[in-house]
Amino acid sequence: MNPVIRWFHQLGSPPYFDRFAARWAPWSFGLGLLVMLWAGWQGLFVVPADYQQGDSFRILYIHVPSAWMSMFVFGLMAFYAAIALIWRIKLCEILAMACAPIGAAFTVITLATGSIWGKPMWGTWWEWDPRLTSELLLLFLYLGVIGLYQAIDDRRNAARAAGLLAIVGVALLPVIRYSVEWWNSLHQGQTIRVFGESSMDPSMLPPLIGMVIGTKLWFIGSLLLRARADNLEREAGKDWVRQRAGIDTATERTP
Amino acid sequence: MSESGMTYAGYVAAAYAVFVVVLMWDAIVPLLRIRRTLRNVSLRAKRTTARQAPISSELQR
Repeated sequence: MNPVIRWFHQLGSPPYFDRFAARWAPWSFGLGLLVMLWAGWQGLFVVPADYQQGDSFRILYIHVPSAWMSMFVFGLMAFYAAIALIWRIKLCEILAMACAPIGAAFTVITLATGSIWGKPMWGTWWEWDPRLTSELLLLFLYLGVIGLYQAIDDRRNAARAAGLLAIVGVALLPVIRYSVEWWNSLHQGQTIRVFGESSMDPSMLPPLIGMVIGTKLWFIGSLLLRARADNLEREAGKDWVRQRAGIDTATERTP
Repeated sequence: MSESGMTYAGYVAAAYAVFVVVLMWDAIVPLLRIRRTLRNVSLRAKRTTARQAPISSELQR
């Protein structure tokens, strides 16, 4: 068998995944933290202030990567949920459900930092603007997925029901993305383009790229850790979990 | 940053504080869940072992 395919099969085994997540989550968190510290330092103290917005524009370095993460995580959650529904892979159910609280956290950051940025620039904490409202709906969808997963006792049925909601909810992502173009919006349009020229000054870009990479690394660490927690809870009665808890399963069985 | 200090410093600090607090929560919650699960497994195993232990001589008499 191809080694990569074999590795994927092995990763589906709960004890193997537990070892994998325990080993790589701290590395991912550590690297993510280092990159974000560097990018945060650059964004706060090195990059010059914006000629119109002054230093308030520095909120961009946490607001924009968080907004991208809020949508990316939802898309990934729906992808895992689709795999879990089609091929009944338990690990994908766990990963999909582990995405929800992380995505919700990034959505909360997006809404809160956007609101804090909006007060000095727009003169208001909140406006029922298409971009803001659709992002708020995304938070409600995340909360719906989390709530549905917690509301059903059977973990596998719960993950399937919540996964279906995640798949349906993907329809909101293009609405968020194009809301500033489809409707008259207070929110500014796209300034950073992956393909094509950005309207942002190149000197302001490195911290943003750093934050984008840092938040992705942090997300991987958090996903592994949350999936590990769920995996351990589901498998709590198994011998391998007792071994992880430091119990000698051989002597335990001997009367 | 201007020489006279950062403009809108309060707003910038508040936004970065939200970012740090939420990410810390994101990292701490699963760590606590893992610790709680392993502790519960360990306690359950100890209870099972205690139940299987021979009854003391005092009770046998």
